[in-house]
Amino acid sequence: MEGKGLTLWFTGLSGAGKTTLARIIETELRHRGHKVEVLDGDVVRTNLSKGLGFSKEDRDTNIRRIGFVCNLLARNDVIAIAAAISPYRDIRDEVRRDTGAFVEVFVECPIDVLAERDVKGLYKKALAGEIKHFTGIDDPYEEPLAPEIIVETDTETPEQSAARILARLEELQYITAGSEPDSYSSEDEEEVRRRLEALGYV
Amino acid sequence: MKLFDRFKAKEKSKRAVLIGLDGTPCTLVERFIKDGTMPNMARLGASGSLLQMDTSIPDISSVAWTSFMTGANPGRHGIYGFLDVQPNSYKIYFPSSRHIKSETLWAVANRAGKRAIVINVPSTYPAQPLNGILVAGFVAVDINKATFPASLVPRLQAMDYRIDVDARKVQQSHDALMDDVLLTLDRRVKLLLELYDKEPWDLFIGVVTDTDRLQHFFMDAIEDAGHKYHTAFRDFYRHIDAFVGQIGERLKDETLLIMSDHGFTPIKQQVYLNRWLVDNGYLKLKDNPRSIEDIADGSRAFAMDPGRIYINLQGKYPNGTVAQGDAARLTAEIKQGLAEISDNGTKIVRRVYERDELFSGPVVNFAPDLCVQSIYGYDLKGAVNKTQLMDREIFTGMHTQDDSTLFINSPASALRSDKPHITDVAPTLLEALGLAVPETMDGRSMFR
Repeated sequence: MEGKGLTLWFTGLSGAGKTTLARIIETELRHRGHKVEVLDGDVVRTNLSKGLGFSKEDRDTNIRRIGFVCNLLARNDVIAIAAAISPYRDIRDEVRRDTGAFVEVFVECPIDVLAERDVKGLYKKALAGEIKHFTGIDDPYEEPLAPEIIVETDTETPEQSAARILARLEELQYITAGSEPDSYSSEDEEEVRRRLEALGYV
Repeated sequence: MKLFDRFKAKEKSKRAVLIGLDGTPCTLVERFIKDGTMPNMARLGASGSLLQMDTSIPDISSVAWTSFMTGANPGRHGIYGFLDVQPNSYKIYFPSSRHIKSETLWAVANRAGKRAIVINVPSTYPAQPLNGILVAGFVAVDINKATFPASLVPRLQAMDYRIDVDARKVQQSHDALMDDVLLTLDRRVKLLLELYDKEPWDLFIGVVTDTDRLQHFFMDAIEDAGHKYHTAFRDFYRHIDAFVGQIGERLKDETLLIMSDHGFTPIKQQVYLNRWLVDNGYLKLKDNPRSIEDIADGSRAFAMDPGRIYINLQGKYPNGTVAQGDAARLTAEIKQGLAEISDNGTKIVRRVYERDELFSGPVVNFAPDLCVQSIYGYDLKGAVNKTQLMDREIFTGMHTQDDSTLFINSPASALRSDKPHITDVAPTLLEALGLAVPETMDGRSMFR
């Protein structure tokens, strides 16, 4: 299916689930026939934004670069998914203004839950003062005021959050409603049927 | 400080092992402990707790194992059988791992940074990526799609790993099937022990499904000491016990659970619910029907394997005939009729459940309207091509709902005293790992 391009922007604290959700959405959208690219903040900092630090200026530059690439992709009918902390509201809004179709997803999770989860072990270090400029600890995070979607990853499973994001994208008519994903090809289905028959289930 | 306490609590967590024995009845394990067939199980049992467990309704592997892995009821996880009908149609589809709507136990463990090995759990095909290793079980078709990560596939092939017994071998002979059951078990145990020893993991889940295959075709053998396969059946369980012993001797401070997803009992008759619906005027089928896709106009209800009954509602199905307002009366009428089914004077229906008695959650709309539970010996089937209500086929064993097995290597004093349910297993394992149980799970940990 040839779809419209779009920038799907995940913002939220470190460890909130931006990458996890981006990957689930990526898989689902590809399955539905869309062209998809993911720009993951952690990955971008190893190439596109290599050398940039965590001052406000460097963070802004990083986000502008991600936004720039997303815009290029989106105007070529790709769904560009950005997964970056992007803590500053003004720069997110700047990207929104300079980009075509833009959907902001606020990945919300209380900081004490994140510090407990601490999948990457970063909060422990930040709390111990070993990492400086850590968003939510000694650097600010400015919540979006009017994101298209808010997901709460402390109370929802990633699949539930992903389902809500997809439903909202359908509602906004960026994507069409998906049928249930096919897991078995038609030859596979015949084999499944034969095996179920052999055990008396069909 | 609150945060510090949480870090400390995390360090106390340890590893957990779950061994699944598909379809092994608790009463059979008890019997094999008593008669010396399962000495390793007896040893474990002496210091732990062997409990009879209830499983899901319907009590078939796809529903039961999905209830296990999600700790949730089908109204949340969405798997009601091996077959289902697509929304707004009568078209059959085969639910797979992609249709499971709730988070799995290993996904929860992964989120906390725990690595999981998940081998041969039914209904995990196609394999979904995880932090760890997953080799899917029944009904997995392609080893490449059944395995994550893909790099494991050559290793599986080198070991001649078998995803499943080929039950069609019974068409050749029972000997050929028995050989295949033993070979598949041997390969499975080799893989499980190798991964247990060589891979890092926090949560190890290994399921043996060969028990179920044996029992579908040889359940009569264990009840009859003179049966040709009586000794072979017992010897098979000696192999199972040896495997349990090999896991037992590897344990350090891990929590060990051994479970089955349902029990088994010998079949007296197979009962074809669609035949009953036709005979009583509720269902009309086209000529030579193959599946419920061949439903004809004017039908008010249809059945799917094993005891699921659906009201053919207007608006829900393309040729729905029953108005919403008439559904409750029809449901009550069918319930009453089913309760009267008898075989030589014996009523064969134990209980008929209405949807909301069993299921709740976001996908409850796809649930059957009624679930029929039979007494032991009467196996409810969804076949549409039968000309009589009851018959015998090649199968000699059928599933039971109230005789699953749950062993925990903790004394009874450490456990809740009420009867466990299959949805309690995932919360129990998460607690053993030192993790919180998500609210999306219906079950509760067995630990006090």
